[in-house]
Amino acid sequence: MMDKNSMPPTLYVPSMEHDSCGIGFVAHIKGRKSHQIVQDGLTMLINMEHRGGCGCEPETGDGAGILFQVPHQFLATECQKLGFVLPEPGKYGVGMMFFNPNVEVRQATKQRIQEHLDELGFNLLGYRPVPVNHTEIGETARQAELPLEQIFVSLKENPGGPSELERKLFILRKYTTHSIGRTSTAVPGNDYEFYWLSLSYKTIVYKGMLRTTQLADYFPDLAHPDFDSALALVHSRFSTNTVPKWKLAQPFRYIAHNGEINTIRGNINWMKSKQAHFISELFTPEEFDLLLPICDKAHSDSANLDSIIEMLTLAGRSLPHAMMMVIPEAWEGHDFMDEDKKAFYEYHASLMEPWDGPASISFTDGHVIGATLDRNGLRPSRYVVTQDDIVVMASEAGALPVEEERVIKKGRLQPGRMFVVDLQEGRIIEDEELKTTLAHEHPYREWLDRGIHTPSDLPEGTPDLPLTSKELLINQRIFGYTREDLKKIIGPMANAATEPIGSMGADIPLPPFSHQSQHLSNYFKQLFAQVSNPPIDPIREKMIMSLRSSLGMNLNALDASPDHCRQLVLEQPVLTKEDLGKIKVIDQDGFTSRTLPMLFSSERRNGLELAIDQLCRDAAAAVESGRVILILSDRKHSSSRVPIPSLLALGAVHQYLIRTKLRAKSALVVEAGDVRETHHFATLIGYGANAICPYLAFESIDQLWEKGLLNEELTLEQAHANYIKAIGYGLRKIFSKMGISTLQSYHGAQIFEILGLNSRVVKKCFTKSVSRIEGLGFGELENAILKQHRAAFSQNNDVVLEAGGIYEWRKDGEKHLFGPEAIHYLQKAARNKDYDAYKTYANLMNSQDDQVFTIRGLLEFQKQQSIPLEEVEPAVEIMKRFCTGAMSFGSISYEAHSTLAIAMNRIGAKSNSGEGGEDENRFERKPNGDWERSAIKQVASGRFGVTSNYLTNASEIQIKMAQGAKPGEGGQLPGHKVDEWIGRVRYSIPGVGLISPPPHHDIYSIEDLAQLIYDLKRANREARINVKLVSEAGVGTIASGVAKAKADVVLISGYDGGTGASPISSIKHAGLPWEIGLAETHQTLLRNKLRNRITVQTDGQIRTGRDLAIATLLGAEEWGIATAALVVEGCILMRKCHLNTCPVGVATQNPELRKRFKGKPEHVVNFFTFLAEDLREVMASLGFRTVNEMVGHTEVLTPKAKVGHNSSSFDFSALLAPAKIAVGDGSFKQREQDHELFLSKDWSILNQVKGALENRLPVKATFDIMNTDRSVGAIISNEISKKYKGEGLPHGTIHLVFKGSAGQSFGVFGVHGITFELEGEANDYFGKGLSGAEMIIYPHKVAQYDPEHNQIIGNVAFYGATSGTAFIRGLAGERFCVRNSGVKAVVEGIGDHGCEYMTGGVVVVLGDTGRNFAAGMSGGIAYVMDHDGLFKQRCNMASVDLDPPEETDLEELQDLIHTHWIKTESSNAERILKNWARECQRFIKVMPKDYKKALRKLELTTA
Amino acid sequence: MGKITGFLEVDRKDHSNKDPQQRINSWDEFHVGMKEEDIRDQAARCMDCGVPFCHTTFSLASKTSGCPVNNLIPEWNDMVYRGQWQMALQLLLKTNNFPEFTGRVCPAPCEGSCVLSINAPAVTIKHHEYAIIERAFDEGWIRPCPPLERTGKLIAIIGSGPSGLAAADQLNKKGHSVSVYERADRPGGLLMYGIPNMKLDKRKVVERRIDIMRQEGIVFINNTEIGKDVSLKDLQESHDAIILCTGATHPRDLRIPGRTGNGIHFAMEFLHKNTKSLLDSNHLDQKYISARNKNVVVIGGGDTGTDCVATALRHQCKSVTQLEILERPPEVRMEGNPWPEYPNVFILDYGQEESKAVFGRDPRRYRRMTQELILDEQEHVKSLKTVEVRWKSDSKGGIQPEPVPGTEDEIPADLVLLSMGFLGPEQTLLEQNGITTNQRSNVVAEYGKFTTNIEGIFAAGDCRRGQSLVVWAINEGRAVAEVCEEYLSRIVK
Repeated sequence: MMDKNSMPPTLYVPSMEHDSCGIGFVAHIKGRKSHQIVQDGLTMLINMEHRGGCGCEPETGDGAGILFQVPHQFLATECQKLGFVLPEPGKYGVGMMFFNPNVEVRQATKQRIQEHLDELGFNLLGYRPVPVNHTEIGETARQAELPLEQIFVSLKENPGGPSELERKLFILRKYTTHSIGRTSTAVPGNDYEFYWLSLSYKTIVYKGMLRTTQLADYFPDLAHPDFDSALALVHSRFSTNTVPKWKLAQPFRYIAHNGEINTIRGNINWMKSKQAHFISELFTPEEFDLLLPICDKAHSDSANLDSIIEMLTLAGRSLPHAMMMVIPEAWEGHDFMDEDKKAFYEYHASLMEPWDGPASISFTDGHVIGATLDRNGLRPSRYVVTQDDIVVMASEAGALPVEEERVIKKGRLQPGRMFVVDLQEGRIIEDEELKTTLAHEHPYREWLDRGIHTPSDLPEGTPDLPLTSKELLINQRIFGYTREDLKKIIGPMANAATEPIGSMGADIPLPPFSHQSQHLSNYFKQLFAQVSNPPIDPIREKMIMSLRSSLGMNLNALDASPDHCRQLVLEQPVLTKEDLGKIKVIDQDGFTSRTLPMLFSSERRNGLELAIDQLCRDAAAAVESGRVILILSDRKHSSSRVPIPSLLALGAVHQYLIRTKLRAKSALVVEAGDVRETHHFATLIGYGANAICPYLAFESIDQLWEKGLLNEELTLEQAHANYIKAIGYGLRKIFSKMGISTLQSYHGAQIFEILGLNSRVVKKCFTKSVSRIEGLGFGELENAILKQHRAAFSQNNDVVLEAGGIYEWRKDGEKHLFGPEAIHYLQKAARNKDYDAYKTYANLMNSQDDQVFTIRGLLEFQKQQSIPLEEVEPAVEIMKRFCTGAMSFGSISYEAHSTLAIAMNRIGAKSNSGEGGEDENRFERKPNGDWERSAIKQVASGRFGVTSNYLTNASEIQIKMAQGAKPGEGGQLPGHKVDEWIGRVRYSIPGVGLISPPPHHDIYSIEDLAQLIYDLKRANREARINVKLVSEAGVGTIASGVAKAKADVVLISGYDGGTGASPISSIKHAGLPWEIGLAETHQTLLRNKLRNRITVQTDGQIRTGRDLAIATLLGAEEWGIATAALVVEGCILMRKCHLNTCPVGVATQNPELRKRFKGKPEHVVNFFTFLAEDLREVMASLGFRTVNEMVGHTEVLTPKAKVGHNSSSFDFSALLAPAKIAVGDGSFKQREQDHELFLSKDWSILNQVKGALENRLPVKATFDIMNTDRSVGAIISNEISKKYKGEGLPHGTIHLVFKGSAGQSFGVFGVHGITFELEGEANDYFGKGLSGAEMIIYPHKVAQYDPEHNQIIGNVAFYGATSGTAFIRGLAGERFCVRNSGVKAVVEGIGDHGCEYMTGGVVVVLGDTGRNFAAGMSGGIAYVMDHDGLFKQRCNMASVDLDPPEETDLEELQDLIHTHWIKTESSNAERILKNWARECQRFIKVMPKDYKKALRKLELTTA
Repeated sequence: MGKITGFLEVDRKDHSNKDPQQRINSWDEFHVGMKEEDIRDQAARCMDCGVPFCHTTFSLASKTSGCPVNNLIPEWNDMVYRGQWQMALQLLLKTNNFPEFTGRVCPAPCEGSCVLSINAPAVTIKHHEYAIIERAFDEGWIRPCPPLERTGKLIAIIGSGPSGLAAADQLNKKGHSVSVYERADRPGGLLMYGIPNMKLDKRKVVERRIDIMRQEGIVFINNTEIGKDVSLKDLQESHDAIILCTGATHPRDLRIPGRTGNGIHFAMEFLHKNTKSLLDSNHLDQKYISARNKNVVVIGGGDTGTDCVATALRHQCKSVTQLEILERPPEVRMEGNPWPEYPNVFILDYGQEESKAVFGRDPRRYRRMTQELILDEQEHVKSLKTVEVRWKSDSKGGIQPEPVPGTEDEIPADLVLLSMGFLGPEQTLLEQNGITTNQRSNVVAEYGKFTTNIEGIFAAGDCRRGQSLVVWAINEGRAVAEVCEEYLSRIVK
């Protein structure tokens, strides 16, 4: 490692590293060991190379590894050569370890190991240096390479046999790791290098910072014919990190993990609390002392997951049992889960919170090997079983080619399911059998019936009396309520149980800079998932989510007893005043509570901090005295007893109880007046609250209701219930943004970045949260609280609360960058081409001395040697670097959209289509030379209008991973806004609602993003591929991953930008300003030597040349501007974009209002010209001639000397840390990514279909295919689109026949006129974005298995497809036809979430569907064969009707099935057709309600 | 906003006034309120803008745009729409002490900057203000509410016009003891004697408010001119702070031949005497300048000029002419006068409407400059010699009038009223006490600080700012009260 002291701190956050990968295993079911298995494992690994990553140089991989059973014969021979003899298998353990390269350090380390061996009663049998061949590995990898040795040990006494040996080896490994690594006892010079890859009598791990192709060469051991195993578990890593680390490779000792654990911070904290109470028959307390802690925050999420699985397993639970505890199925909303299994999960919920996040995990203990998939099934896992007892499971089908004749079963792992092979029993144990057995181990249901209580079981308490109106007013003032809180937040929630919506982003000061009183939660920015893991849809996939919370103790997690589940269970975490009243006086079945006042004295110096410390001690004392539930309450405040902000108090107590190991014994309840918004609840839960009673919010609702300010028909009870429901909805959304499904795992997970609190506060109350620019301390917080408190008591006369002014501008409210004056001067400047007016506007934006808004507002330029303005590159050059923000046609009017496009084309800059597609009429230039084509075409999660032709007509394709205003969330264009035009452009029909899912269903991790980039680069080879991210902690790391995934551009969006509608809480509370994200990105890309191969763009409230200059100095070479451009077009920040009532015709589709649009391209051109000139002036004053030479020069920036509010408490040294540019690297984009375009099957196809392409002559050609052939069809479709536009070729012109296992994205964006026929199987994204082509797939003709019950294609087929036909003989995976808007497909069975978000097309399912069919389906029709009469239960009925097919439907259906039979020879289809009269009655027609209505309306209008 | 699409569904409808033929026979107010359901409909037109330009003010093209007291217009519009009149009142009173005045006499710059007015008629904001406060009075919601405790601090306010009243009201609410000095016989300043009764009823509206303030503990001392009847020094000794709210009452004169003749008066003299006589004796005392059977010429096209026209009409003048030196404003905004600037457009105000009803024509003549007042043998004005002007740019970037040869004419006149604005405060008191004034003769006291060069003496309203709007006076009165309050908390006396 580099010397830490010599490196200036940067914004890089190591804990935010991500990796994801390809995993798999091959095993002999009967446990027969062979060298072939080893070879097969290596082959499989190589065939998943594309799922791994490589760093700054192609030879350095991110990591690859493989786990085997201990190859005794091989090792015995090798050891003999070294002069020592191994005992028989099971009597010795073999360890693999990395040492520090320094020989003396290694010697000292071995010395230490020897000491511990002696202590623990081990004999050292010997060491064996593992031979390696490093000729092929990359330079970076070589520099970091560590010596690898094997150690062989045996126990002096081993009465307990192999399992005892395994436990002792575990203790040895943990003990030596702690002892050698921990600072206090470290071996000098070791520097965290010593690392055990494995230590076991059963398994052994070979891994390193290698590419998959290098592994076999690097370890000559693996080639030895004696090296045998009955299993091989492999892992190919794609990491965002390229800083060399050999030990980060996988597999670990028990698992290989593909995915992310999002809740890791909380899981580690809970584990810390839990392990304090570990008791086990298998380990003595002394042994626990040696091996604890189990988890280590310094390790990756996967490594920690491995550790907890290992602990649970070695303490006596079976490996599958441990997996089920840690990664449970979604049992709560599961209506037809077996009762005993449900009880099993419910019981274990009291022992362990779910480790949440998308995950596919392969696991083994050497005897059992298996795999499991998280509840949402967001990772692919395919398997085959052969006649000769080989089982192969991998992220991709075809990764290990097997002869088709041998295959007896092809399947996939399903969400929440487990697949286990017991090598000792010699059989596959199915999920059902396995879990039923485990569920019956104990009478869990009986235990639960006794243990679980709910508030309704409790006797009545004595809730506090309601406040008088005067008390209420004072209370509202004390807790900072504003009129807006009532009007915009609480009122709407009580009225409609929904989240309030707002528009136009946030242009208010960052919370620490504001002069208004701030809720403490405002300093916390929600983190969200982008790229590295998918957010969840909390509405359409609600079934996997849970808000269950419980109050009670956590008992010893290594044990199971009826007492373990004694919990007071809440369906959701919001407590009514009545429920809290009960809990305050509870005293039964071991439940007791204590109420602790959360107040401080206004008279005491440092009263706040002292009171917090006292509260912590009181809380600990209460727990020690046996109180299980602690209620932190500010109810008893007075003029001199001041409420402590609830989050501050709660955070401090939670952390204190963790430190004192008391947290697991208690539950924390908050009763606070300052809790009202969803975000307040989220922060409290995220920092450890089990339940919250927002009494003042309830009282405020009472007042609104009494005054008649709520909807008339509401009862007060309904209003309360609505509010609670709205909070629940909002919480689910916040969890889902991060990809977390349950409150239990969000609880204490600290998924926030803190912006504006100092490290003392963070350390005490929010330990280990990310916080990078310092900020307010206890003193400043106390002063602000006291000021507000005193004011509350001195405003007796005024009965009207303060304005707020956050969502709507108010003179006496919060300040906004875009106030009336700024809007006026900007419009005046642009309309009249008035540079003076521009300067007045720019001054209003830039002069942030009295009121700082932004981080850049606190920075200034250091004086530099200036140059004459003429020497600066001309404005026309600079303007090419501008783009406008992504705003869809649909969110803004055609007039506003095309005006921007024309203007940007005129100046050589780029406008952005947004996510709604683009009318093909705009692709050609107009006679006057103007061009309405958007240079940037966006690809968002909804994939609306994304066709081959759309992509072909782009200069840049932007993948929108997140949006500043609502990162991690999806969107919805309600049906009433979809008119004929918008419907057409989005390939839908008017009146049908269009949903954009929260995740891209083809991007659940970084290697998936790489795949989409691979697709798009082939769909248009000339276009730059841009990936849009939103600033947050770790975005730099993500950006590195994006660079490695070969994007050409990465956009770092600020949290504050964003037009159009978003939930208010998301606009304000999710994401960070671009300054931090951009600087982090620039620094991290440089650190990883990736900066010079990617263009960095930024956007978010960029308004002036000064903003552009600072963006450039922080690392961006291109910039996006949206809001200001809209204002130039006439936008006056109504902030009503979501209502379609924009009075200036910008954000509306209403034809009357569109007429009011007055913007002109000239205005927009004027504005961008002014911006460029303004920037040039700054450049001249700083002495920069070009933008390129200016990028990243942070040394030119310095914090302003004391200006503004609270400004002195910030520390920008990390933000402004000077960049270190490695030799041969650069600080702006200088070289092109290697897109490996030559690697494509399409070239050979193209060769054979030239005639068809040039002269439309029909052609048929045949090819072999394997899983490494990806995105087949994209290039050829692109070529057709270039020539034949959206129309394509006549049907059947190009008939391509393939044989084998197709890689991902087979047929992607295939256009009309191509037929893809595949004999074999295919992977994920089959027919993605299909644009008219025909797809036919059937199993190998030689296959012995029954096609209709075996897997043939992967997950997410036909995602975003717009037209075409498909016939699939076999089963498809999860999310079949997700967001399909036109494809007609026949398939024989599908997984969960079929036809999700579908808006058009026809789907015929001849077999079973999984759960949640038709979720969010708003258009199109599905016909499903209801074999068991249970289809209705598997269908999400929220938006669809189930009807019997009508006469005309049956004709279409029969026709489709007939074609299916003809094209695929499906025996299933044949059977149905033969018995049509009977079979056709078993079909159910699934028809969205919206769609029905829309079709009826269309019929009426066309009739 | 109440109704999201209200602005698309409802057309602007203005409140009506009494029939001009009828109303000129009376000194009663000519306003007629709108029906409640109509007001609710009109309130539905408010778009509840994210950036409500109506609610704030900034100076554009040297005119006020938007509301100087930052009325919470979108919020009370919403309450009006929902029929929540009491809530609307609370919101209205949060920013404006005297909505009954502004609701009648304000030129409503809020409507000029109403976002809806970018491309449609503005919301009828002013009338909603009127409706809210009048309803409140009708319902008895406006009651004296004296402070519960007194601080013992004494404040003298010189001048009882809108700024003085606003400052008095604010300080009194804080528990300070406020005395308001007024040289006229009735308090109210401009509100009492500057604006005629038919526009702002003295008993029903002005005195109604002053009575409430009296009941709340404010002392009004009339017929007392500071600097004449009582010295400022004495006042200083007996009070903790003094606020000058003396207004800008020094009228602009017309220095042309014939000015010294009889029958030529400043508008304020005309209006003041008229109102006093009306209130004292219903005009029976004859102590006013009558226009009866006279040819009246009003020089000046502003609001005061209009008030003169309307008053003369009620005197049953023989004819009335109003001379305006500027161009006739356009019917709609010109390109150079875009939203949100105050719209410089042609308006037929109440006086002109009445003139039209009586004489069949708008009394205004534009681009007319008076060159000479021609007197008869009794030195009484007989006619005016006027000429048309053309506006020419000058070297300093301004514009200057230039007579157009051959356009001279003569207008018969028995009564000439000079209504050409005001130059600033009267200087006597200021000079006597060494209070610093600026080039424009206004008291030097920076906005926001309001302190004069003498400690403890503040200045606000037109005497500080120069001639302006009632609503600015209220703004300044409120603002100076805040500063004064802060000052009082600092001093120990």
